[in-house]
Amino acid sequence: MATSPKSSVESKTGAGPETVARERRVFKIFIRGPIEKVWHEITKTDEAQGCFYNAWLNTTGLRVGAPVQMRTKSGRFALVVGEVTEFDPPHRYAHTFRFTTEDDPPCLVVYDLKSVTNGTEFTLTVENVPVGTKTDKAMTSGGTTIVTLLKAIVETGKPPLGTRIQYALMGAMEGVLPKQARSENWPL
Amino acid sequence: MTSTLRYVTFWLPIMTTSLPDDMDALFQALAHRDRRRMLDILRDRPGCGVEELTREFAFTRVAGLKHLKVLERAGLVVSERQGRKRALYFNVVPIQLVYDRWATEYSALWAGKLADLKYTIEGNEARDGDESQVERREQDRRGA
Repeated sequence: MATSPKSSVESKTGAGPETVARERRVFKIFIRGPIEKVWHEITKTDEAQGCFYNAWLNTTGLRVGAPVQMRTKSGRFALVVGEVTEFDPPHRYAHTFRFTTEDDPPCLVVYDLKSVTNGTEFTLTVENVPVGTKTDKAMTSGGTTIVTLLKAIVETGKPPLGTRIQYALMGAMEGVLPKQARSENWPL
Repeated sequence: MTSTLRYVTFWLPIMTTSLPDDMDALFQALAHRDRRRMLDILRDRPGCGVEELTREFAFTRVAGLKHLKVLERAGLVVSERQGRKRALYFNVVPIQLVYDRWATEYSALWAGKLADLKYTIEGNEARDGDESQVERREQDRRGA
């Protein structure tokens, strides 16, 4: 990789062969809450997951090799599909990840939890992000949103008001999602 | 009894909210031009190594490691061992928390529009760094 300061400016403009590269993104946050509570928020299947845009986690049972999906409340749409690659409660959970609405190659999402004084250190790592794709954009802005929402939910019990309004609207607008995302196209 | 009540309802909240928070470390970390530039570089080159990063600066390796430690303590840099190399990543989350603390959804909309106006007029590079750096790049360009 070139190391002059100029090349860093150029690579941001998207020129050059680096655009097809895969990259890793890291999002880390401190949460004032016990590790079990944080773990529960990201693995629960009996209610909507507020930190993941209110998606319902659909799986045959969380273990290595099991399929995972992020579905809408009605269950009619699966927005994200993947497969569990690591499952070590309450410390590490990883799964492959792809949007059903995009043809981008899958990336890998890793959740690392570490018990520290007065709380939990939570790290979300996204590996093999196909640089410059829609998946890349969604993961880059989504990563920050997910970890800050997770912090709010564990510490205050619910997402901020603005997010709750947004979720209500998203729920009402579910019908506008593309056909490609219909759950019948994505059997578990 | 009343003094206990007064303590619980009045003093306790005040004392707990005035505890030094994580943001002290964050603002201290951001209050240095070289450290901000380190973040610029790491944002553009995720996984950059320590050598590669410190090479960009005039200071010694020891000073560079010191700056890195300050950034790591503030949560702005996350490092990971990859064999003998230490890969560094920029973590934007602490900055988002600053934003969330003071910007409401409405103020964010208008402040965002004003910021966009600034970038449009001054050129997109204004977004990317300290003003002096923008000037420096301007000079580079004129010189080239």
